[in-house]
Amino acid sequence: MSRRRVAAITRRLLHQFRRDRRTLALLFFAPLVILALLGYLLRGGGGVPQMGVVNEDTGPLGPVVASQLEHSTTVSATAMSQRDAEAKLRNGDLAGYIVLPPDFSAQAQQAHTVAPDVRLEGSQPGLSGSILQAVGQSFTALVGTAGVHFAPKVSYLYGGPTFDTLDYFGAAFIGLVVFFLVFVITAVAFLRERGQGTLERLMASPLRRSEIVLGYMLGFTVLALVQAAEVLAFSLIVLHVHNSGNVALIFIMEALMAIVAVNLGIFLSMFARTEFQAVQFIPLVIVPQVFLAGIIFPVSTEPGPLQLLSHVLPLTYAVEGMRNIMVKGADLGWSSLALDFGVVLGFALLVIFAAATTLRRRIA
Amino acid sequence: MAAEPTYSVEVEGVSKRFGAQPALDDVTLRIRRGEVYGILGPNGAGKTTLIRSLVGLIVPDSGTVTVLGRRMPSLDILARVGYMTQQAALYPDLSAAENVRFFAEIYGAHDGVREALEFVDLWERRDSVVSNLSGGMRTRCSLACALVHKPDLLLLDEPTVGVDPQLRVQLWDRFQRMARDGASILVSSHVMDEAERCDRLGLIRFGRLLAEGTVAELKRKAGVERLEDAFLKLSEAPAT
Repeated sequence: MSRRRVAAITRRLLHQFRRDRRTLALLFFAPLVILALLGYLLRGGGGVPQMGVVNEDTGPLGPVVASQLEHSTTVSATAMSQRDAEAKLRNGDLAGYIVLPPDFSAQAQQAHTVAPDVRLEGSQPGLSGSILQAVGQSFTALVGTAGVHFAPKVSYLYGGPTFDTLDYFGAAFIGLVVFFLVFVITAVAFLRERGQGTLERLMASPLRRSEIVLGYMLGFTVLALVQAAEVLAFSLIVLHVHNSGNVALIFIMEALMAIVAVNLGIFLSMFARTEFQAVQFIPLVIVPQVFLAGIIFPVSTEPGPLQLLSHVLPLTYAVEGMRNIMVKGADLGWSSLALDFGVVLGFALLVIFAAATTLRRRIA
Repeated sequence: MAAEPTYSVEVEGVSKRFGAQPALDDVTLRIRRGEVYGILGPNGAGKTTLIRSLVGLIVPDSGTVTVLGRRMPSLDILARVGYMTQQAALYPDLSAAENVRFFAEIYGAHDGVREALEFVDLWERRDSVVSNLSGGMRTRCSLACALVHKPDLLLLDEPTVGVDPQLRVQLWDRFQRMARDGASILVSSHVMDEAERCDRLGLIRFGRLLAEGTVAELKRKAGVERLEDAFLKLSEAPAT
């Protein structure tokens, strides 16, 4: 073991990085961006789940519970009628609501048991949990003083009590896995095409840029669809991820995501010189999207400014679309799913255009 | 259809800068049909830039490039041009035959894969994956890709680097035969014995075309016996 030889390798490595300013910047910049984003996301005073309080109680206890809920920090509760609450639950404005029936106080005083209806939207287990927690807390005063037994009747609009975190994440990850892998593979394949000189040869041939982009798109979409089929089959058959929607729709959404990923890969590979640099797009392009697309943290609970950002990310709509289909059983008749498809399709067209244009600019 | 133009390549006053660095400086040259034209010059003289401007990869800052009677850039005309880059541009995961077939399809040729591979003596190794071929074999495979569609104009950027002497002689015999059959060939090189086999030569340095003519003309102009000396003498001259 020679110290000089080891030192030579170490020194050479550091010298190389000094030349590759981008890698260096990324090395010290990306972790701060990611951590800052995560910090803001979790501590930025983002929204809490919206819930409705339907107080029909004629006695004194209903208003007490309602007021407890309205002062809760776990949820943001608003008083409303049951009809409004159900409508808002269905269009996604509410994560859940509680109904305090007309005989609520009477029941508590006479039968020493209260059984209010708690209705949950159910597609996001995290939000459902917050609401059940807030409801539980609002009853503790009541339970403690009067020795009342508390047994809420919980019902779900989507999913159900067995609907778990995997069901929620599964829908998003089926889409994300395809998006992420196809993006990386395309970016690297395209950089190799550039590095090995074949791209130059293609540019000096009668090929049109659109033909190159389309050919790439078809090739990788075929791969992506086979992968999507495999991922989907595994998720549904082996993992039993909840699916109440149409498998064909899931597939179409995955195909659209694959097309976006291929073209994003081509487009971004123009801004990298080496495969090494292409991999660096992962922390810059993929990780923030994973944070912000509502995959892990619901968009509705993000701090306001981040919500704006989330709403311009294509992955947000893709993930929401996948959940609309798989969790809620949506079809294209639903305006929310139609919007998801529309946005992802629009973004696909945008990146196809961007990829074709950049290809021309960089080569000609 | 109009008669084929006399010149396969017409470069008129082409200049190109990369930043402050002039890569081509007012270059004018013509290549006749059926001619093997050699571009001779040291590394960094502008040979590759000139060739890239012929296939539209580089748009000149000024001047015009006309290939097979058509102003460049023109995608249609590229179907009749073969281009071999300095480094073998191949897909390393594909076999030699798969590479050649791919380029044949890109250029709209339906056959010729076997002919092209035989031309470069690679037919026996057609099923070998490119990453398993030697450097010289890759160069030959790259050449096969450039001529599989039987182009009217063949642009070869240092085509015989790494090719052994016997095969080099053989390839040059074949280039000359292609030229006799009516194709025009532009070859860049810094190897003098190859230059001797060109019909005409252009000496390029600092992006400028310093002298042009047949081998005999260049020797006479410089007043020397050997082409190498002519090259050295002629490229010194205008260094002002």
